Amino acid sequence: MTIRWTRIAPQLALSPALAVTMVAFIGSILWTIYLSLTRSRRVPDYEIDWTEWSRQYARLFNDDGWTIALWNLITLGIGSALAIVFGFILAAMIDREKRGESFFRTVFLYPLAVSLIVTGVAWRWILNPDMGLEATMQRWGFEGVSFNWLAQGDTAMYAIILASVWQSAGFYMALMIAGLKSINSEIWSAARLDGVGLWRLYIEIIIPMMKFTFLTCAILLSLGVIKAFDIVLAMTNGGPGQSTWVPAYFVINALSQKQNLGYASAAAVMMLIITAVVFLPLVLLTAWQARRRNAA
Amino acid sequence: MTDIASAATIGATVDSRPVVRRRKKRITGRSIAVIVFLTICALFFCVPLYVVLTTSLKTMDEIRQGNIFALPQVWTLEAWRFAWFEACSGINCDGLRVGFWNSVLILIPSLILSIALSIVTGYALALWDVRWAGTFLFLMFMCAFVPFQIIMYPLIAMTRSIGVYGTIWGVAVVHAVLAMPVLVLIFRNYYKDIPQEIMNAAIMDSGSFWRIFFEIILPMSGNILIVVLILQITSIWNDYLIGVTFGGFNTQPMTVNLANMVTVSTGTASYNVDMAAALLTAIPPLLIYFLVGKFFVAGITAGAIKG
Repeated sequence: MTIRWTRIAPQLALSPALAVTMVAFIGSILWTIYLSLTRSRRVPDYEIDWTEWSRQYARLFNDDGWTIALWNLITLGIGSALAIVFGFILAAMIDREKRGESFFRTVFLYPLAVSLIVTGVAWRWILNPDMGLEATMQRWGFEGVSFNWLAQGDTAMYAIILASVWQSAGFYMALMIAGLKSINSEIWSAARLDGVGLWRLYIEIIIPMMKFTFLTCAILLSLGVIKAFDIVLAMTNGGPGQSTWVPAYFVINALSQKQNLGYASAAAVMMLIITAVVFLPLVLLTAWQARRRNAA
Repeated sequence: MTDIASAATIGATVDSRPVVRRRKKRITGRSIAVIVFLTICALFFCVPLYVVLTTSLKTMDEIRQGNIFALPQVWTLEAWRFAWFEACSGINCDGLRVGFWNSVLILIPSLILSIALSIVTGYALALWDVRWAGTFLFLMFMCAFVPFQIIMYPLIAMTRSIGVYGTIWGVAVVHAVLAMPVLVLIFRNYYKDIPQEIMNAAIMDSGSFWRIFFEIILPMSGNILIVVLILQITSIWNDYLIGVTFGGFNTQPMTVNLANMVTVSTGTASYNVDMAAALLTAIPPLLIYFLVGKFFVAGITAGAIKG
C-alpha cells in the first residue's frame, strides 16, 4: 500500500497544475487559433469557411493600425534596449566604485515597484505642455524647448520609451551587478598588471564574459516589449490617432472596442508567432551558451 | 531547459556571496566623476517621484502657474482627501478607497490560490519521481512565455461558464493561472537542491507525500515563501490588464480605478487629485520595496521571466 501511494500521491498532486496547463494554456491557445480562422464577430462562430480560412489574417495585413503597431513594436524594442545599455553603465560604475552601493541600488530600482499605470500617469503629467516640464523650462527662459511629445504622433512613442527606460533601467542594473560580481576579481588586477586600459578591459574582456547576462536581459526585454500594454494605455491610450498602437494594444482594442473576436484572435496568434520567432533563437542561444560554459 | 530560470536566479543567489573587501582608497578624480555621474542619474530617477509628490500637495491655482519643480506655497492634503473619498471613476464617485479595498480583496485569494497550487507542483516535480515530469516542466517553461492576449478570450469564456467572471474570484483564479508557470519554476529550482538522501530517509520513515511536504519541506521553505509572497503581492497589486478584463463593474482593482479616473475624467482635469491618486496606488508596493527590498529584488530577478 505505502509503495503504491508514494507513486500515486505525487501524480495526484500534479494533476491540478497539469489540468491548468492543458486547459488554460494549451487548450486556450488552440481555441484562439481556431477562432482566428472563423468569421466570429461579437460571439464565437465555430464554422470555418475553408475556401477563405485566412481572411482575418489577410485583413490584418491590410490594416494600417496593425502595420503601425508592428513598427511601434520595433521602435519600442530598439528604444527600450537603451535600458540595458544604461543599466550596464550604472552597474559597472556602482560595482567599481562601491561607495554608496546600496543607496544607489535602492534609488535606481524603486521605479520597478510601481505599477506601470502609475508610471504612465506620472510621466504624462511631467510632459504636460501647459503646466509641466515644457512650461517650466520656458518660464526659466529656455523658449525653444519642446517637450510636447505626447500630442504629436511622431514623438509620442519617444515619451513611452522614456517612461519605460526610467522604469526598467534599474532592473537591468540589478541583473548586471549580479553578472559583474560573478566575474573573477583577479581579472582587475591582472588587467592592471598588463597595462590594459579601462575601456579596452570592459569592451574586450568584461562584456564578452557577460554574454550570458546580456542574453538573459535581451530575452526579458523582448518579453516586456511584446507585452507592453499598461504603459501605452496610461500615457497615450493609443493616441494621438493610432500612432502609439502596439500589438498588445491592438488585440485588446479589437476585442473590447471593435468587438471582433475572429480579428482579435488573428492578431493574438500573430503576437504568439512574434514571441516564438524572437524567443526560440534567444532561448536556444542561451541554452547553448550555458552548456558550453558548463562544459568548459 | 530551465537555464533561463536558473540564470535569472543568479541574481538572487549571488547577492548573498561575501563581498571582497578592498582596502580603503584615497578618493581619486575618477571616483569623484563616477559619484557625480551616479548622483545625477539618481536625481533623474527621483525627479518624477518628487514632482508627483509636490503636485499632489498643491492647489490647482498653484499648479496652473506652471512651475512643476517648485515646492508648494500652501501645503494641502485636500487633493489626497478628495482622491480617497470623492474622486469619480466612471460614474462611481466614491473615490479610490473602493478600488483599494477591491485590490485587497483580490490580493488575498489570489495569493492563497497561486502559492498553494505552485508550491505543491514545484515540490512534486523537484523531489518525486514522476515519469512525465520532464516533459511537463518543459511545457510549463514554454507557458511562461505565452502572451496573455492569446489565452484571454478562452479564459473569459471559461470563467463566465463557471460563473466567476466579473467577480473577485474570477480575477483571483486568473491571477493564479497566469502566475503558475513562473512560480512552479521558482519553487522547483529551490527544492531540487535538497539532497536525495534526505528524501529517501523521509520516505523510509513511512513519510507519505503530504506528510513529508507539511513536516519537512514546508518548514524549510521560509525564505523562498517570503520571496514569492512579495513578488506576488507587488505583481498582483500592480496588475491592470487582468483586473480590467475579469473584474466586474464594482470589483475592479485600484489600478483600474486610477486609470479610469485619469483618462476619462470629465470636466477640467485636477492634476493634484490625479497625482495623489497615483501615489495612493503606488504606496503599498513602495512600502514593501523600502521595507524588505532585499526580498523584493530576489523575487523580481527570480520571477523575471514573468516580465
